[in-house]
Amino acid sequence: MSERSRSLLARQVALPLVGVACVLAIWQATLVAYRLPAIVLPSPLAVAKTLVDLVQTSAFWRDVGVSLFEFFAGYAIGVVLGLFVGMLMGEARRFRMAAAPVVESLRFVVPFAWIPLTILWFGTSYVGKILLVAYAVFFVMVVSAARAVAQVEPTLSRVGTMLGMSRWRLAWQVHLRAAAPTLASAARAAAAIGWIAVVAAEYIGASAGLGLMITNAATSLATSVVIGGMIVIGVIGAGVSAVIGALARRWFDYR
Amino acid sequence: MATIANSGAATPAVRLSPRVGAWLLGCAGALVALAVWTLLSQLLAHGGGVINRLPTPLAVARKLVAYAGKDLASDLLASLHVFAVGWLVGAASAALIGLVLGRSDRLGRTFLPIVEAIRPVSSIAWVPLAIVWFGFGLTSKVFLVGLAVFLVVIVYAVDGSRRVPADLERTATMLGMNDRQRFVSLVLPGTLSEVLIGSRVALMSGWGTVIVAELVAADSGLGAHLIAVEQSYDVPAIMATMICFAATGFAMNAAFTWAERRMLPWRHDREREAT
Repeated sequence: MSERSRSLLARQVALPLVGVACVLAIWQATLVAYRLPAIVLPSPLAVAKTLVDLVQTSAFWRDVGVSLFEFFAGYAIGVVLGLFVGMLMGEARRFRMAAAPVVESLRFVVPFAWIPLTILWFGTSYVGKILLVAYAVFFVMVVSAARAVAQVEPTLSRVGTMLGMSRWRLAWQVHLRAAAPTLASAARAAAAIGWIAVVAAEYIGASAGLGLMITNAATSLATSVVIGGMIVIGVIGAGVSAVIGALARRWFDYR
Repeated sequence: MATIANSGAATPAVRLSPRVGAWLLGCAGALVALAVWTLLSQLLAHGGGVINRLPTPLAVARKLVAYAGKDLASDLLASLHVFAVGWLVGAASAALIGLVLGRSDRLGRTFLPIVEAIRPVSSIAWVPLAIVWFGFGLTSKVFLVGLAVFLVVIVYAVDGSRRVPADLERTATMLGMNDRQRFVSLVLPGTLSEVLIGSRVALMSGWGTVIVAELVAADSGLGAHLIAVEQSYDVPAIMATMICFAATGFAMNAAFTWAERRMLPWRHDREREAT
């Protein structure tokens, strides 16, 4: 191994490992120094053991499945509607002017504020969560689609017009593709927001799901399950947005 | 005499100025939205389908006025208190830690991966743990808001501490500045201006965290009120509270954007999207 690649390895791999070791050591030391009971802070080992136990139960996979189902159903609705309305807002100036105040003011009603209302309307069923995710994703997509389409390089539009493209063909084939890289990163950001909306909605009223799992664990003071669940939520969130980001880049981002 | 309404006609007799046109269209859009809402509430008045009940805009407005006359001020103050303390703590610690991790290559490589690993676990996922650790009081909410703000601002702080423009660096060398002078007059201002921008971006995630924290650990504030009216099935009051949340978020965002433009006029055109 050459000198250079060895030092690169040390910097890229060894230092982060040292960091992880530091955090785990501080965690363990806090436990020992303050004699914290496991219900306040379980040891890193206990959390790892709980995670291993957890993935062997079917109830855990059911919770994961429910949360993912709610997420993907809502995400699909939100992205399609958001792109459609956002494109309309970007293409049609009059529509944009008419819709902007409504969209802008609803944007400040964050998804979390809707949770109690969705529970009253739809109970603890899937429907409420799916709509909540759709709502969260919709506004991310609308705002960025409208902005991206409106900012497409004017030369492209002129070339399209010169080639005799109709207005909607121009929108579909030129503007949408020109805006695609922006839309791909918006789709990724929307995934992270939608996933967290699912978890938050499940805290407050759900019959299954990861959010419910960790609030139940918190009320029964099974703190290692709480921390394990948080890790699972984080991993799934990062995984979902990585997958969506990769797919979106493959489909949209031609650069 | 030309009427204002026929702006869609082929040759309008009076051309409206674009601003007035935008205004009128905006008002029309808002009116249409209110009309659709009212119509839906009439249709669903007797429990239509899955939606149990949708109040009319008027009923919501009435509740809003009633709430404003009673507990709104104290609830809002409680929520803003949580938010302000958490936001300040989060932004200050992110600025400090970001500066250290950004300037020291070795510390940055050691600990930034951990920050990056924690970032996808949104502060919302910490709610149950925060309640186990700190109970239902102020501390747990401040912790959550602080965490939410920290996770956003740290990225800006690291970025700002690293990116000293090359020409400024050369100028500093030419002027013979020592390390301390460089830090005080180059690195620190750059970091702080990025932190300021990050703090504005973090406003909405911090405020969203306040909402969730107060919904789950409902002991005071707007979120507690929201849960209370939800449990008494008072849909108009729920919507009125949602409006209060939105209006507060909007006001904070507007105030901060304005302040940022005054303080960092060279930066507001290059702002980035929240991650």
